[in-house]
Amino acid sequence: MVAVAQHPNIELITYAEVTEVSGYIGNFDVTIKKKAKYVDWDLCTGCGTCIEKCPTKKLKDEFDLGLGLRPAIHKVYPQAVPGKPYIDALNCLKLSKDKCGICEKVCPTDAIKFDDQDEYVTEEVGAIVMATGYDLFKWEEAYGEYGYGKYPDVITSLHFERLVSAGGPTGGKIKRPSDGKEPKNVAFIKCVGSRDDTKGKSYCSRACCMYTAKHAYQVKDKIEDSEAYVFYMDVRTAGKNYEEFYQRSLNAGAKYIRGRVSKIYPRGDKLVLKTEDTLLSMPLEVEVDMVVLATAMVPGEDSIDLAKTIGFSVDKDGFYQEAHPKLQPVETFAAGVFLAGCCQGPKDIPDTVAQASAAAVKVCGMFSKTELATEPMVSEVDISKCSGCGFCVPICPYNAISLKEIQERGHHGPLTRTVAEVNSSLCQGCGACVPACRTMALNLKGFTDEQLVSEVDALCL
Amino acid sequence: MKKRVGVFVCDCGTNIASVVDTEKVAETAKKIPGVAFATTYKYMCSDPGQELLRTAIQEHKLEQVVVASCSPRMHEKTFRKAVEAGGINGYLFEMVNIREQDSWVHHDRGQATQKAIDLVRMAVSKVLHNKPLQISSIPVRKKAMVIGGGIAGMQAALDIAEAGHQVVLVEKEASIGGKMTQLDKTFPTMDCAA
Repeated sequence: MVAVAQHPNIELITYAEVTEVSGYIGNFDVTIKKKAKYVDWDLCTGCGTCIEKCPTKKLKDEFDLGLGLRPAIHKVYPQAVPGKPYIDALNCLKLSKDKCGICEKVCPTDAIKFDDQDEYVTEEVGAIVMATGYDLFKWEEAYGEYGYGKYPDVITSLHFERLVSAGGPTGGKIKRPSDGKEPKNVAFIKCVGSRDDTKGKSYCSRACCMYTAKHAYQVKDKIEDSEAYVFYMDVRTAGKNYEEFYQRSLNAGAKYIRGRVSKIYPRGDKLVLKTEDTLLSMPLEVEVDMVVLATAMVPGEDSIDLAKTIGFSVDKDGFYQEAHPKLQPVETFAAGVFLAGCCQGPKDIPDTVAQASAAAVKVCGMFSKTELATEPMVSEVDISKCSGCGFCVPICPYNAISLKEIQERGHHGPLTRTVAEVNSSLCQGCGACVPACRTMALNLKGFTDEQLVSEVDALCL
Repeated sequence: MKKRVGVFVCDCGTNIASVVDTEKVAETAKKIPGVAFATTYKYMCSDPGQELLRTAIQEHKLEQVVVASCSPRMHEKTFRKAVEAGGINGYLFEMVNIREQDSWVHHDRGQATQKAIDLVRMAVSKVLHNKPLQISSIPVRKKAMVIGGGIAGMQAALDIAEAGHQVVLVEKEASIGGKMTQLDKTFPTMDCAA
């Protein structure tokens, strides 16, 4: 991360969103909304005094998924890059109620700016790499049998990561969210929201088998006399050194039970899992202290809107659609826009890194040329037929058609007339404008009316 | 209008030939007005297949080319280049999809073959009206934007930047790192994520 921030060729714009993209391959204009941070990062040294002194301390920390607390002015996490704080405007006393303002008083560099506004900037670039990542399946809305999220000790794998992380709210000690006690027996349920047509998604989320193997190992490793039960449908360990890693968890004593958990309910301060062992064909009841759900990766919340803004397609699940599953895995149908990571589909870290480097090579390949060849199969206007009605202008999905005025010689001297004009760089050759043209002035090169009619004639006559 | 069309029908191994009688398609194509040459080959996209196309263009003085094979998404560029190597404009070429839109979706050999013949007839008729087109060029701004600062975005940005190009990395959150920074150790090496 630091390498990214320090690289002289990388300009980092954080706390920002892409709002508009225009142009075409090699020539995109991207409008970015820089959200108000209320801290001038040019002045801020990242000393953290404001964070210490902020009186609004008991807000749920999003980074720790609500397992920890944070103040209103805060960094995303202590090692954030850039290491500068910003103000959560909704919960800041000064910004919401015009009280307090302590951070402004204690800041040694006068970096606090309560009048900060959202700012829009436009960047001119030649290529775009989409790397917008994923969200986790909202299991609370679908899995009533696991308690719809009302049992605090039924958590997701990402919560577990925070609990087991040295930088997390418990300093790396595995503790139950409900009472802070160390759990002895932990159950892991795989495929929550994935491989489940009725409640979730049909696809396999790909990384869960491996991180669950890791979690089960960590429970056995960190908690003495513990049991780690893993409830699974299949164990998928297709990756270099993955099967060995899974075997290591088994050798550490993780108990793998093939079966779906049909119900979780509390008994005292424990949780009871009703399930079956399908290899023994035997119903089972397992009592544990904590349950960890391996929830599916799903497309990011705003990712479809962003795809629409830029102008490429998504697949049936909402992941970004690659141009070809085998031969063009990092390209999109929009020329000059490439894909990297989980925005294209669930994947683990090794695959993400490989795909990101592949996307980078595609960009570098493009940049190795000073000029790009364009497809000549684009629309053209026969201005002698064009009436200038402008009907085609709003129909073009790529904003490639505009109206222009031309001078012509008429019966009574020069006359000015409006006609349509196609920008051949913007035109993608979709042909949507052709049937809209009432005077048949528009034609798609390579698919002219003459060509299409001759095809129909060949078939029908 | 020149009327010397060459028709090349691909077997695609057994992908096409197991359902479509490619020999019959080629034989029937020879009788279509304007067609000067028609043949089949096991893999038109292969090097010998392309060579066959190039030499046939020269030997038979072909002016237009129709290739009946897979989806244009797969090999339109391949054949366009081969046609150009044979000495004619790459846009005096039409591709007929008798795989995805015929052999892969039909079982009846007779009807599938008839469909292939119809599709070839349409393409021959169209290619006779094709005009040579020229590729133009547009300038490239050598600066990239990466949207998303997680592990994918950071890796892509670093690789592009290392190659000597400018990169703008846009991240929604106030810090880069994405979900990865929330992870503890990562499989299979168990090194730290951050």
